[in-house]
Amino acid sequence: MRFMIIVKASRDSEAGAMPEEALLAAMAKYHEDLAKAGVLLDANALHPSSKGARIRYSGGKRNVIDGPFAATTLIAGFTFIQVKSKAEAIEWAKRMPAPHGEHNDCEIEVRQLFELEDFGSSEAIERFREMGVASER
Amino acid sequence: MKVMVFVKANADTEASVLPSEQELRDMGNFNEALVNAGIMRAGDGLKPSVNGARVRFSGKKRTVIDGPFTETKELVAGYWIWEVASLAEAIKWVKRCPNPTGEESVIEIRPIFEPEDFGEAYTPELRAKTEKLRAKATKQINKRKKAPKKKR
Repeated sequence: MRFMIIVKASRDSEAGAMPEEALLAAMAKYHEDLAKAGVLLDANALHPSSKGARIRYSGGKRNVIDGPFAATTLIAGFTFIQVKSKAEAIEWAKRMPAPHGEHNDCEIEVRQLFELEDFGSSEAIERFREMGVASER
Repeated sequence: MKVMVFVKANADTEASVLPSEQELRDMGNFNEALVNAGIMRAGDGLKPSVNGARVRFSGKKRTVIDGPFTETKELVAGYWIWEVASLAEAIKWVKRCPNPTGEESVIEIRPIFEPEDFGEAYTPELRAKTEKLRAKATKQINKRKKAPKKKR
């Protein structure tokens, strides 16, 4: 099973404040542990939403809205892991260093990824499989 | 630059309504165009939040909260990672995407940090460590890809 651990944005991350060296080091150690356990797939941090955009789909139309967006709804980073169960994913999530520093309360979200098998079998699903996306590694 | 492209959740994705064969075919065509253009790095759909959990960090405490979560519009239903030349190029591609939920939907494009963006706090030592980790994770992934597929 693959999971995405989502770190939500904070006012600081949205303001473009960079993490301190100690936090970067703690994050490096955590990801090293994930890699050692053979569960790490990928991890990345996102620039503030001021550097991004949204596209709204409505009645066949596409409208582009430039960032920034309200901080409460945003993502600041994510780590992908492949584990045996949701419980194992949560165990790993609890070991993550507090992503905005130990003194800043926050939440991270653990979400399971769809595997191609979940969509049944069809020609379209076979094509996804050939592209090598949306599958366990 | 690398960008992450999020599909936001709606009532259907949260209710686990799976896409129709036509919708899967349209999305397959779009993904194929991304692969052929050489910009696709990864892409996945997320199961509804009922299959997920949150971990709340408060001081030294960690509290687990099981899904589902109510604020549907704030949830993510899927993502891609693309390698593009600019935000404008990413926007151009998103506009070609079939409406991902079939109804009113929003897709968000966010640039990903590159090592040089972290400045001095990201010391050469930490950077070397991260690069080693990435190489290790990639090696593990490639090894799994080569191994015969395990039955789930």
